[in-house]
Amino acid sequence: MITRYDEQQLDALRELASIGSGTAATALSQMLGRPVGLAVPRALALPLADALDAVGEPDAMVASVVLPVGVGDGDAAAEIVVLLLFSYRCAASLCELLGVEPRSELGDSALGEIGNILGASAVGALAQMTGLALEPQPPHVLYDMLGAVVASVLAATVGELDVALVLDASLTVEEASCGMSFLLLPTVGGVAELLGRLGLGAEK
Amino acid sequence: MGELAVSAAPDDELVSMGLGSCVGVALVDRERAVAGLAHVMLPAANAAYSAPAKFADRAVPTLLACVERLGARRERMVAILAGGAQMFAGARASVAGLDLGARNEAAVREALADAGVPVRAAATGGDRGRTVRVRVGEARVSVKEAGGVEVPLWHPHFHADDLVETP
Repeated sequence: MITRYDEQQLDALRELASIGSGTAATALSQMLGRPVGLAVPRALALPLADALDAVGEPDAMVASVVLPVGVGDGDAAAEIVVLLLFSYRCAASLCELLGVEPRSELGDSALGEIGNILGASAVGALAQMTGLALEPQPPHVLYDMLGAVVASVLAATVGELDVALVLDASLTVEEASCGMSFLLLPTVGGVAELLGRLGLGAEK
Repeated sequence: MGELAVSAAPDDELVSMGLGSCVGVALVDRERAVAGLAHVMLPAANAAYSAPAKFADRAVPTLLACVERLGARRERMVAILAGGAQMFAGARASVAGLDLGARNEAAVREALADAGVPVRAAATGGDRGRTVRVRVGEARVSVKEAGGVEVPLWHPHFHADDLVETP
C-alpha cells in the first residue's frame, strides 16, 4: 500500500504544523523568558529512507523527547508522536537556563517537561482547529543516535506504508545559541483523522 | 532504512547508521570478498509494495539472492545481526507497546534458519542505538553502540569462544 498526499492536503498539513509549532515556540519562550525563533515549518511526504535523511545525520548523538499523543476516541491506530531533538550542547544549555544539572534525573525531567509543554500546547492548538480530542501521554527522554530514535518512532507510526509524513519546524532559543527540531509524526490513522476534520479526506 | 546494499569490491564498506528497533542483517561469504547488509524495520509484510529490505520475511531472501548473484555461496555464508533494541522501554504508549526490536530479531532469525544460514554473532536487544559496519575485503563486521566505541563483532578468524551472542 502506498499513500499519496496531494498538494492541497500537504498545504493543509503544513498549516497545521505551522500553527502547532508557532504555539509551541510561544510556550517555550514563556517558559524560558527569552525570545524563541521559528523557521518556516515543512510538511514532507517522503519514502522512508529519505524521511530519515531529511531529519538529520542518523549517526549523530541527540537528546530527544518522545511524546505520543492519542487522537480521537482512543483508537491505538490513530496517534501523533511529538518528537523534540536537541544537540547535547543545547540540552545542557536549556537545563542551565532552568537551573538544573544536565544529564541528571532532574535535568531529564526538565527536558521531559519542555517536551510536555511544547507538545501539549501544539496539540492543544491542533485540537482547537480540528475539534479532535487529543490526549498527550507521558513524555519519554532518551539520549541516543538520531537515526535510532527517529527510525524506531517511524517503524511504529508508519507501519506498512512506504511513505512517511514528517511535519517539522526548527526552533531557536536566542541568546543561548540553541536549536532544536520539533517534529510531528502522525500514524496513518492520525493523518486521516486530521485531514478528515479539515474536509480533505485522506482517501484518494 | 528499509534498504539493502551488496558488494564484491574489497575496498567497500557497507554501513547502517543509527539502528534502533530496526535490525541490520549482514551476510558474509567467509572465503570470498562478497557481503551484503539489509536494514530491516518490521517483522512481516502484508503489503504488496515496499522498500526491498523493510520487512524481515522479504529482506532475508532478497539479500541472499543479491549476494549469491555476486558469487557468494550459501554453504560459506554466515549472518551477523545488530540492532533490535527496545528504545522506549517503560513508555506506556503504542510506540513502546509493540516491542518491535525483539520481534524484528526473531523474524530475521527465523528467515535465516529457513534459508539455512547460521547466525555467527549478534549485538542485539538492550535499549541503545547501534551503527554496524561491514568491511567487504576483510569480511569484518564491527558495531558501535550509542555513546560507545566501535568494537569488532565478527571476522572469519574469530575463535568460536570469542563470539558475541546476546541471549
